Amino acid sequence: MAKYTPTVEVGLDRMRDMARGNFDLSWMDSNPEGWGHKVQRSQAGLKLTDVDHGFYGQVPAQGSSHGTMAPRGCYVPEGTISLDQYTINEMTEIWADNAASLYDEAVVRQWNSVTDVPWEKLKTLPDDMEKAVCQMCTGLAEVEFVAGDMPAKWLCRINHDFHEVKLFLATQIMDEARHLDVFRKRALANGGGLLMASPGQEELLAAILNAPDYATASALMHIFGEGFVLTLFRQGEYLAPTEVEKTIFGLCMQDEARHVAYGVKHLKFLLERQPEREEEIHAILEKGEQAIFSLTLEPQTSEPRAILAGGGLANIELGMMRMAFIYQKQVHEYLQRLKVAGIDRTNRLSIPTEIPYAEIAA
Amino acid sequence: MEQRILFPSSDWFQKLAICMLAQEDEYRRLGPMDCTMVVRVSSPENGDRNFEIVFRAFSVDSVREINDPGDVPPEHFIIEASLQTWQEMIENIREHCGPDLKHTLNFLTFPNDPMRVNGPDQLQTDAFYRYNRSIQQFFNGATDVPTIYN
Repeated sequence: MAKYTPTVEVGLDRMRDMARGNFDLSWMDSNPEGWGHKVQRSQAGLKLTDVDHGFYGQVPAQGSSHGTMAPRGCYVPEGTISLDQYTINEMTEIWADNAASLYDEAVVRQWNSVTDVPWEKLKTLPDDMEKAVCQMCTGLAEVEFVAGDMPAKWLCRINHDFHEVKLFLATQIMDEARHLDVFRKRALANGGGLLMASPGQEELLAAILNAPDYATASALMHIFGEGFVLTLFRQGEYLAPTEVEKTIFGLCMQDEARHVAYGVKHLKFLLERQPEREEEIHAILEKGEQAIFSLTLEPQTSEPRAILAGGGLANIELGMMRMAFIYQKQVHEYLQRLKVAGIDRTNRLSIPTEIPYAEIAA
Repeated sequence: MEQRILFPSSDWFQKLAICMLAQEDEYRRLGPMDCTMVVRVSSPENGDRNFEIVFRAFSVDSVREINDPGDVPPEHFIIEASLQTWQEMIENIREHCGPDLKHTLNFLTFPNDPMRVNGPDQLQTDAFYRYNRSIQQFFNGATDVPTIYN
């Protein structure tokens, strides 16, 4: 009876051959087309966009059918098994022309919540203000990681030939991990704690996670959801009561703007090649609009921001009026981003362009 | 006696560009930025004056005053405000070695008053948000630039 399995025996035979000086070395000439690649470094260092040009920059409209994790541009020996994982094989479904440069930008612009936030500058806030900050952070900690879960859901299904997009989405997952972490940390760091979750937010999160395909999920999340959150981050920086919140929101704002930039360029790429899909996009955006409108007016979402905008609970009404401006800005920027992507939704918007709080209050 | 530099002027922005070079490590930590920013300064005496600052990676590639408004590049964003607003921001930065909570670029631009950020489209305007901390750091260089205003 053989001491080892046939697989191990084959390996040992190969080693015996090598011990006799019979090396294969066929791998050395396996990819003549890809050999001798010239690279010019950018001022910032060696970027993905610096190496992915020429032979290695050719992105196939249809991802390769071998279904392996072999890096695009290498030689894949016949008989290599398919992993049978990839269901997203069309470039149009995921591609954005800025994915590689956004990846380069993302990896350099990483930060961490341990040492990059000046936690030592936290100071005791009046109770109403601390509660408002904590509630805002509770809401953001709840919503942020959907932008990690959504790409994670699709990542292993994306053909490995589209590594630029896969790498970018991986940075996004890390970004969102950091956002969840930093908002939760802020809520717990100053003598307060987490407050109330938001049923309205869960509806929006469900719509993103249950979207029928990647392209619609991306339109809903990257452009709509993250676009609205980007404005909230800008507002968070604006309302920040201390240097700590100022830093947190400033850092998160940069990350979120990268995600939005990918989403806009992806949708543009998709619709330029498959304009017939515009109606699907309108349908998912309408779902998002409905969810965000009810969520915007949920007390646990709107009231803490109004307290911060007004400067305290005593001025919450003033804060509500100031909040109306934020909503108007969110809707305006959302429509403008869609225009860049090639969709005019101005006349199909299913929610008001502004919240007439002052009129209602009067 | 310290030499004061006139704001707005190409010389003033060149001074910030020199400060940027001196802080390359800090800019490397923040991340590279490839973008073109136009600073618009409005005053009753001088009308609108536009200065284009081109950033490449961790430094300023070029600074120029744009004399013909039609020559404003169609890429990225314009930050515009009155001379008085710019002066208040710069002096605040100088006083605190960086802006206080109410004088960051985001604080001043978010309500569209007293500053505004505009791009040819939303994606270009969004570049202001994407590189915000680097752009803030650039203006924080004013800490070391004694300034007079006109």
